[in-house]
Amino acid sequence: MALTPMTTRQTIFALAMTIYASSAAIADDQQIDFSRDILPLLSNNCFKCHGPDETNRANELRLDQRPSSLAKLESGHIAVVPGDSARSELFRRISSQDPDVKMPPVDSMKTLTEKQIGLIQKWIDSGADWSGHWAFRSPVRRKMPAPIDDWQANNAIDRFIHASLAQHNLLPEPRASKESLIRRVTLDLTGLPPTVQDIDDFLNDSSVQAYERVVDRLLKSTKYGEHMARFWLDAARYGDTHGLHLDNERSIWPYRDWVIRAFNRNQPFDEFTIEQLAGDLLPKPALEQRVATGFNRCNVTTSEGGSIDDEYYVRYAVDRVETTATVWLGLTAGCAACHDHKFDPLSQREFYQLFSYFFSLTERAMDGNALLPPPTVKVPTASQLAEKARLNTEMEAAKQVVTQILDKAEYKDPFSGSEFPAFKKLDKVWFDDALPEGANRNNTVWEFVTAPDHPVFSGKNSTTRTGEGITQHFFTGAKEPFVIGKGDTLFAYVYLDSKNPPEAVQLQFNDGSWEHRATWGADKCFGAGRDYEGNRRKGDLPEKGKWVRLEVAAAEVGLKPGGKLNGWAFTQFGGTVHWDKAGSVSSPQLSPEQQESLAVWEHYQRTVGGALPENIKKIVGVNADQRNETQSKELLRYYLEKVNPAYVAQLAEPKQKAADLKKRIDDLEKAIPATLVMEDRKQARQAHILERGEYTLAKEPVESSVPEWIAPAVDGAPKNRLGLAQWLVQPRHPLTSRVTVNRYWQQFFGIGLVRTSEDFGVQGEQPSHPELLDWLAVDFVESGWDIKRFLKQILMSSTYQQSSRVTQDKLAADPENRLLARGPRFRLDAEVIRDQALAVSGLLIKKIGGKSVKPYQPAGLWKPVGFGGSNTAVFVQDKGDKLYRRSMYTFWKRTVPPPSMATFDAPDRETCQVRRARTNTPLQALVLMNDVQFVEAARKFAERVMKEGGSSVQDQIGFAFRSVLTRRPNDFERQSLTSTLDEYLREFSMAPGTAAKLLSAGESPRDDQLNSNELAAWTMITHLLLNLSETVTKE
Amino acid sequence: MNPCRESALVETRRHFFSRTATGIGTVALASLVKPDLFAANSVDAARIGGISGVPHFAPKAKRVIYLFMSGAPSQLDMWDYKPKMNDWYDKELPDSVRNGQRITTMTSGQARFPIAPSTFKFNQHGSNGAWVSELLPHTAKMVDELAVIKTINTEAINHDPAITYIQTGSQLPGRPSTGAWMSYGLGTMNQNLPAFVVLHSTVGGSFGGQALYSRLWGAGFLSTRYQGVSLRSTGDPVLYLSNPDGMSEKMRRRMLDQLSLLNNDRYDAVGDPEIQSRIAQYEMAYRMQTSVPELTDISNESQATLDLYGDEVKKPGTFAANCLLARRLAERGVRFTQVFIRQWDQHGNLPKDIRRQCGIIDQPCYALIQDLKQRGLLDDTLVIWGGEFGRTIYCQGGLTKTNYGRDHHPRCYTKWMAGAGIKGGVVYGETDDFSYNVTENPVHIHDLNATILHQLGVNHERMTFRYQGRDFRLTDVHGKVVHDILA
Repeated sequence: MALTPMTTRQTIFALAMTIYASSAAIADDQQIDFSRDILPLLSNNCFKCHGPDETNRANELRLDQRPSSLAKLESGHIAVVPGDSARSELFRRISSQDPDVKMPPVDSMKTLTEKQIGLIQKWIDSGADWSGHWAFRSPVRRKMPAPIDDWQANNAIDRFIHASLAQHNLLPEPRASKESLIRRVTLDLTGLPPTVQDIDDFLNDSSVQAYERVVDRLLKSTKYGEHMARFWLDAARYGDTHGLHLDNERSIWPYRDWVIRAFNRNQPFDEFTIEQLAGDLLPKPALEQRVATGFNRCNVTTSEGGSIDDEYYVRYAVDRVETTATVWLGLTAGCAACHDHKFDPLSQREFYQLFSYFFSLTERAMDGNALLPPPTVKVPTASQLAEKARLNTEMEAAKQVVTQILDKAEYKDPFSGSEFPAFKKLDKVWFDDALPEGANRNNTVWEFVTAPDHPVFSGKNSTTRTGEGITQHFFTGAKEPFVIGKGDTLFAYVYLDSKNPPEAVQLQFNDGSWEHRATWGADKCFGAGRDYEGNRRKGDLPEKGKWVRLEVAAAEVGLKPGGKLNGWAFTQFGGTVHWDKAGSVSSPQLSPEQQESLAVWEHYQRTVGGALPENIKKIVGVNADQRNETQSKELLRYYLEKVNPAYVAQLAEPKQKAADLKKRIDDLEKAIPATLVMEDRKQARQAHILERGEYTLAKEPVESSVPEWIAPAVDGAPKNRLGLAQWLVQPRHPLTSRVTVNRYWQQFFGIGLVRTSEDFGVQGEQPSHPELLDWLAVDFVESGWDIKRFLKQILMSSTYQQSSRVTQDKLAADPENRLLARGPRFRLDAEVIRDQALAVSGLLIKKIGGKSVKPYQPAGLWKPVGFGGSNTAVFVQDKGDKLYRRSMYTFWKRTVPPPSMATFDAPDRETCQVRRARTNTPLQALVLMNDVQFVEAARKFAERVMKEGGSSVQDQIGFAFRSVLTRRPNDFERQSLTSTLDEYLREFSMAPGTAAKLLSAGESPRDDQLNSNELAAWTMITHLLLNLSETVTKE
Repeated sequence: MNPCRESALVETRRHFFSRTATGIGTVALASLVKPDLFAANSVDAARIGGISGVPHFAPKAKRVIYLFMSGAPSQLDMWDYKPKMNDWYDKELPDSVRNGQRITTMTSGQARFPIAPSTFKFNQHGSNGAWVSELLPHTAKMVDELAVIKTINTEAINHDPAITYIQTGSQLPGRPSTGAWMSYGLGTMNQNLPAFVVLHSTVGGSFGGQALYSRLWGAGFLSTRYQGVSLRSTGDPVLYLSNPDGMSEKMRRRMLDQLSLLNNDRYDAVGDPEIQSRIAQYEMAYRMQTSVPELTDISNESQATLDLYGDEVKKPGTFAANCLLARRLAERGVRFTQVFIRQWDQHGNLPKDIRRQCGIIDQPCYALIQDLKQRGLLDDTLVIWGGEFGRTIYCQGGLTKTNYGRDHHPRCYTKWMAGAGIKGGVVYGETDDFSYNVTENPVHIHDLNATILHQLGVNHERMTFRYQGRDFRLTDVHGKVVHDILA
């Protein structure tokens, strides 16, 4: 080993500290780096009152900017005089003992240490270099350090890491054993352990490329995409429920599956970014690109009764800014929602300019507790598309039969007389001045008013209401039901106030259900957007300032002859409305003979009128001799198809066939999954600066725009989310590439080069290897944001491949292994721990994607907290294969996350998270000891050991060890497990029945061919193996 | 991992390894439950974890029991006596009182806001003559021990944001809960039980009411080790506590001994201190398998104690049973116990429903305070009662002399505190005749939380955690300790 001569023999400990600790531990002979050593001190101690935040600034002094710090202040002082700490007011204040002078002030609870004050002094005296915060300057690829003799440097990573090790007087570890390496890399790239076959293949491959072949094979595996997606889904705050209040189910798993596919096809990170933030805004977006925008529909939403829409529109947009800023910028933008950022230069205005990008979605503030709150898209599979096409063809054929019969029809009217029968229709009033007997107003106010102060149509009074939003008065429970006759039309009289008209009016009828409604005007009331029996759209608002009769055929709102109404509602959206006299018009019916005549039917329609489509009604209204040919044909066709008994009978079969097919198509449509996507309003909603972040305190309006102090806006980019996304991935952007490569680094080494992977701002931690971080960031962008290439670079480094053995010296020198004088070693994530157990037991189902599943969880977890009306208040466990899917497919109820995974630090997914905690608790031990999932896995693992592990106990123990730990057991392990197996066998033999109990854990069938006592004893052994510290650790 | 957490871990390890040089498996076997930990006055000596420098000053409280009334009980029918309202029956709430305040969209469409006076009788109790409604005959007996605060206020007007706010200091998900802050800052006093325990209460044998969320006892950005652990009344009290069917206690012990041996062997080979920590965690899990069933077994409670809590105490999961359990947890040094009871969200049929709810909680609340007092635990146990907001003086839905409903009201509502340095016999703060606005001594929920921390010896401004570059705390950037209610 050769060390560079510059390295002085300082204590290992102090050396280790300097690499990542704050300036407090800086060595005396080191150059002061403003960004690393001084800026954090100023930020931590001074910026609160002398920083970017305009409203809380104590006076004109800003220590976050060079000009202000060097300028003469109103007091006559100069904060920083480069080269002269004695004349610098900053130094005088921080070094003073006088409480009236001393900075930071005593009540700020902040103090500078002697050493820190010394640093600031030294910095001023050496010229007060002011380079700004490192992360806000574009990364530059510096020359990599020279290799060190005899140290295996495979690539740039090793060169940088080795240089710093040498500087700190540390030696790298030799390469890990092949067994250890294949376990590490397989877990790291797929989240699953290698199979015994994989291990043997690798051990038997003695070529130089053996390891690289493994890496390439794993990068091509579809399990890679699943594993990579899992980390991204934490950042995307993906969940299967809405997250707030009812926490009902939400369908956005097609987005989750999109992420898996994106990683598997190695989509470049810039495209990956653009499609998720703005796929919908791309020219002619493909369905996949729209699905990708689910990223920013993953935020939690509410539909809690009483909530105010405007408040939630703001909250959703704020969440999207915070998430986007954390994931791409590594900045804590949220602070600036309420005030200018106290540490980073992000102003409140800039925050709301970012907010504006996300403030104009077509989504509603209230999610309606619906599975698919719009905007959504359907995501059919190829087979569903084919099936739909086939059914459509068949349906068209059936319709064609109908058309042909009508086309060929030769109709002769049997009626030849001149006297038509007389038809008379009758108004049947249900209520006028008073409500029907027994009517229950359900606490709604029926305000009756009289003329002349108010308009009245009939009788003594009318009822009136003025309101905001949806308001209504109604009754139910009329003693005498109001019976619907065949062909009846319901009516009511309405008078809209000309000065304060509503936006919509609606009549609702109750026959036990309220799903019978007719709406005039804007679509604001119940039924939102659909035209169906429960919300029949009857056209525009009636004329204002006069009484208008509203009519709707009972059949149009799904009321059948014989139906009995017990209730009626007058509903309006805003405005002032008067209502009067309501009831139905009943009509006499045509006899079958009369129906055979078009002329008689026409006469009937003219004198009595039924529910005819508008176009037919119009033709009937024209005298027969004045109709043109098209009109006559249209009328005849309608008549034959709907009225004439002979044709109706003839058409019945093909029509039924078409209807059946329609139903099958509809059913298929319903089965096609859909997912939440982004979509902007046609007319952007104006964003404002919100004082203290309060939605009620809107100040100046702002437009969508990017903070240009980070990077200039991209020329010609649109002023929408697409422009924002393009800005994020422009090659010179100082943050996106650094933040992204750092997150991958963290994934493989446990801690990022910047530990605070969510915060690259002034308050974030300094990078442990700044030049390496920059080198990697530049390289990543220049490679075309190629993720697999980048990961391979890490995996091929000797740094990654080192043994992870911990020596006392290295532990003391670098307890967290930031310098990487040894390989990465840390506890596996929750999902990997469970998936590994499923894999070694042979239970794992390898299917990719699809609706989330509900594997085992202890009974009664959802009920004690769930809202009664929630569709996730009761947990219903799935069966069969769904118990053994990879953990990333487990249904994520956000207010009660999957318990065994939550115990292993899986997040609740309510907010964006880019770094998981890694704890070590007794509750984790209990999960591995007693969760049925793990006990069942041990039992099935034991079956495999007995069947596949060879004939001797020694072989079987070896097989078990290799299946879960890759390596073979040492003598101690082999002996102690052999004797323990015997003891368990004796115990089960002496207590008949206990083996059967243990072997009943879980729902998978047990192999009855195997001796139950032996299998139970082996189950104890495999259970033990699944609980080993080594099993849950990436070594 | 942050330095504080790291030091907690080291401390834990030190604690475990100080007991033996040869590994801890055998020692743990011998002392499944350390009985000396159960003496209440010895608990502080046994503190594990927490951050150095905390508490900042001598604490009055060592532990907290928080009786949380989810759904928001009506202050107007229980505590905030407004006799003048009888003359206002069915009259409109004056605009000057509402003063343009936002109200929920459940009633904002109502044509009228008619005043609904409480149908319940109020009487004066205790040496200070505090007004308490007839709904709370037991609680009324102990007003001399309570500080009743009538002016708690919040900004949130709906359940989810409001309960998230009072529990975590923010209306939005993501922040640590009060109990998590306590277990982070103050550590645990009993290594055999979680530092922060959550109990859910049944009403009439079942659960129901406004939703609760695991974030309410979550750790937010603090380590997940600080989150509350639900102690359940059915199934395993602590998740995954029981050994699988067919695995005897003896087999479990053998398995753990073997596990310890193999893990130690691996430690010798690779030197990773996390392995030692994991060995310790397994031993603690094993001890929990004994200590938790012992905790929930009330067969040794005297008849007098059971009678104090009432008949329901014998039914696991009832509010009464949970109050008794809370006392047992307090005895065992659990830092923070939060008992939730739901179904206070009385938008309609309030008189009937609130009578039922008060019938459930009144006696157990009284019993808990008396029981703690008799055992000398009240002196250093802080008990808090209340919900996430209050209810409106105006009626929601139909109003009659005997029936009405009330909507959510954030601007003032009542909570009480007792024990651990809280001044008894105090009624603090005043509201206007409509219990609509605070007229004197407002106590924001941040002030309440600051006061809770203060009693624990914590300066709420100084117990912070840096996340995303910002020093976060339970009280955000607000909070003033309410010194007037402190003894």
